[in-house]
Amino acid sequence: MEELGRIHQLIVPFFGHDMTFNLEVMVMTWLVISSLLLFGFLASRKRSRLPGPLQSVGELFVMHLYGLTEDALGKEKAKTYAPLICALFMFLVLSNWFGIIPNLEEPTKDLNTPLSLGLMGFVIAHYAGIKTKGVKEYVKEYFQPIFFMMPLNVIGELAKVVSISFRLFGNIMGGSIIILVVSYLTYSIIFPPLLNAFFGLFVGTIQAFVFTMLTVVYISVQVK
Amino acid sequence: MAIEGVDIIRSAAFLGAGICMGLGAIGPGVGEGMAAAKACEAIGKNPKEAGLLTRTMLVGQAVTESTGIYSLVIALLLLFVV
Amino acid sequence: MTYDIATWVKVSAFIGSGLSMGFGAVGAAIGEGYTAAQANAALSRNPDSAGNIFKNMLVGQAVAESAAIFALVVAMILLFTEHRAETLSVYILISAGVCMGLGAIGSGIGAGYPAGEACFGISRQPAISDQLTTTMLIGSAVTQTSAIYALVTSLILLYADFFTRPFSPTWAAVIGAGLAAGLGAIGSGIGEGFVARAGCEGVARQPLSRAPVTNGMLLGMAVAETTAIYGLLIAVILLFKTFEPATSMAPCMALVAAGLCMGLGAVGPGIGEGFTGEGAVRWMARSPNEVAILTRSMLVGQAVSESTGIYSLVIALILIFVV
Repeated sequence: MEELGRIHQLIVPFFGHDMTFNLEVMVMTWLVISSLLLFGFLASRKRSRLPGPLQSVGELFVMHLYGLTEDALGKEKAKTYAPLICALFMFLVLSNWFGIIPNLEEPTKDLNTPLSLGLMGFVIAHYAGIKTKGVKEYVKEYFQPIFFMMPLNVIGELAKVVSISFRLFGNIMGGSIIILVVSYLTYSIIFPPLLNAFFGLFVGTIQAFVFTMLTVVYISVQVK
Repeated sequence: MAIEGVDIIRSAAFLGAGICMGLGAIGPGVGEGMAAAKACEAIGKNPKEAGLLTRTMLVGQAVTESTGIYSLVIALLLLFVV
Repeated sequence: MTYDIATWVKVSAFIGSGLSMGFGAVGAAIGEGYTAAQANAALSRNPDSAGNIFKNMLVGQAVAESAAIFALVVAMILLFTEHRAETLSVYILISAGVCMGLGAIGSGIGAGYPAGEACFGISRQPAISDQLTTTMLIGSAVTQTSAIYALVTSLILLYADFFTRPFSPTWAAVIGAGLAAGLGAIGSGIGEGFVARAGCEGVARQPLSRAPVTNGMLLGMAVAETTAIYGLLIAVILLFKTFEPATSMAPCMALVAAGLCMGLGAVGPGIGEGFTGEGAVRWMARSPNEVAILTRSMLVGQAVSESTGIYSLVIALILIFVV
């Protein structure tokens, strides 16, 4: 039960303040990144017309996500953003699935990962908006439809970042807490793996998809 | 009647368990009722598909039950573990 | 009847977790039940697309479940972690439980509506079931934002350090914050669910007008969200403002009243703006040429029904800052 609150941290003193590194999360994130790089390298090495297994899995992901991005953004703009969306989705799906493997944990269990991905999506969306519309038009949008809606619009934009990150964080951390408590309470063999499958695979995939979809939608709202 | 500290903790745990399961039973009751009602209407409109409709109704009700099960778990935890 | 503080902290932790999960289970179950009901109706209409409808129903119910999962997480945190044995903890724990519990009601009910409507839409137009699933996911996920605000408030309550502040108004500020964020999330969750339902229905009836309907749906949901944002704003102000130590009951009650006022006041406008958005988005799908007029009248209508929410916000701010 004590594992509920314990995080392994490395605290490094840095010019008077302390920098904290969450060790487990960093190691897990690098593990996910290196597996994705390995997968990408192996899948695109020999491109043949009759694809092998790795190449067809890669094609499946890319085709679906490309179609999704094209639907939302239109054909030309999709070329710029589709690689980002593919990478985001595959990173999230793989990190949520990592929780099923016995001694590994999901990097998305710590708030830093979803929050940084949410901020990244936010910065990209707004930068794209400024680049497409120009600064004056972009600022004018905040004063629609009535002049004093401006603070509410600003808070709404910030709230989008909070909601998108906390949704992913809450679902994944919640799943892992529930699995921990249930496996502490019951001595059965069936129950915890079933829960693990539900929270890790099913909810993990859906939440990764929802995060990606919402990022695409926010980019498309700014860019159009 | 002197009330001990341990007593009041246990009574609070019981109270919490009662509130939790009591309130937690409202939602699944209403939700599963809605699912069953529409299933009956649907069977009335299309009696040939009764098997498929009943199966879907049961699966939908099972997922709806899950929040009730969460409340049950918390209530059992409050009663027997803490 | 004097017991030591550790006893009372445990008492409040148990009651808080019971309230959190108890209230939290209500909304999600009603929403998922509505989804299952609409899925059944859809199946009777079009049994051939049973596979798609079934898959859609399960996915929609899983997203609607998130609000209950948040409540379960807060309940488990309250039960199983060690809390500091001080008097302020008693109020913090109960407030965190009530906040998350109430906050999960609205979003749970609301997220069930678009899922059910998407299942029904698949029976109407089986060919676009992928697009309907996507629209449904966007709608349900944005509806969850009010529960997320309640989760953020509960986590701040549990993990921020309030013990360096003077006890006397801080206990009231904590309770007020929990009530504001928790109650405020109910109305807007249900309201956004109505708008998302109309969005899914619109896409099903008129697949070509998907882009304006999705934009209108997001705009309507964003405006219906504002009352939950007010609730979160009051909660954050109550939690992070420094108050002077109060010696009498009246300033404390003012803070509790501010939270209660904003919380209850956000219920009505949230649901009302949801009705407005629902009507507007439903007709945006049927007459895509009139999108501009419909958007304008939706925004004007929502702004007027926002007015009582703004009155509550003003009174809450007066109670915090002036009285």
